Amino acid sequence: MTNLMGYSIVSMILFSIGTIGVISRRNIFIIYMSIELMLNGINLFLVTFARYHFNMDGQILAMMTIAIAAAEAAIFLSVIILLFRTKKSLDTNIFNKLSKETK
Amino acid sequence: MISDIIFIGLSFFAIAGALTMIFHTIPIYSALGLLISVLSIAGLFALLSATFMFMVQIIVYAGAIMTIILFILMFLNIKEENLPKEPKKNLYIIVGFILILPINYLIIKSISLLPDSNMNIVQENFGGIKEFGIKLYQEWLIPFELISILLLVALIGAVVLAKQRTIKKIKND
Repeated sequence: MTNLMGYSIVSMILFSIGTIGVISRRNIFIIYMSIELMLNGINLFLVTFARYHFNMDGQILAMMTIAIAAAEAAIFLSVIILLFRTKKSLDTNIFNKLSKETK
Repeated sequence: MISDIIFIGLSFFAIAGALTMIFHTIPIYSALGLLISVLSIAGLFALLSATFMFMVQIIVYAGAIMTIILFILMFLNIKEENLPKEPKKNLYIIVGFILILPINYLIIKSISLLPDSNMNIVQENFGGIKEFGIKLYQEWLIPFELISILLLVALIGAVVLAKQRTIKKIKND
């Protein structure tokens, strides 16, 4: 089980669950957590191939992905706080201010 | 043999946490499911003999990011009427499952063409903090510095976004 195929299947399942969460849910928190899950699946892929080729570049790329995810968390959560203060809802369908003309 | 059993257990918990995350309607249960998934992925990193990545995953993901998510969830005081109503959630999940199948088939088929290799835990000269630091500061120095600039920009952006906007209100009055 602990060969390349097993790890690849697990990381593809995690990435797919994240994608399904992004395209099917409407709660903005769940969409954010699905994006985090997709990043985690790709990290698992990178670390798997680093072990497969016995080369540590993949692990360094995975660490940079984690740093970018931390920066994304700060910005995304402050945007969520701003939107929740003005709209009092977590629905993504009412956050369509940019797609309509303002009066 | 033992690593097989650990691998199956950790993968089961990672996938079960992820499924919990997308099927629950209450956000705090979803956050706890994601926490279980992230910790299981940290265990898989340790099984791949990436000890420093195991540490970073636990400290940064489970320690910092998940704590911020749970803190914001409690801070916002979300009630039942603030949540969106999703009557067709299961239908959309099935449609998404069908849409995502072809790319999975493609990637698994292309990986099955690669030669298989034994992926035991190695003990020396791989994945530790010393080798990681040498690699990072010798070959990846410029991307590392750019990442620090990115984190600074994110810090300033979060402060600017979260501050109270009072000047505009006074002008309108």
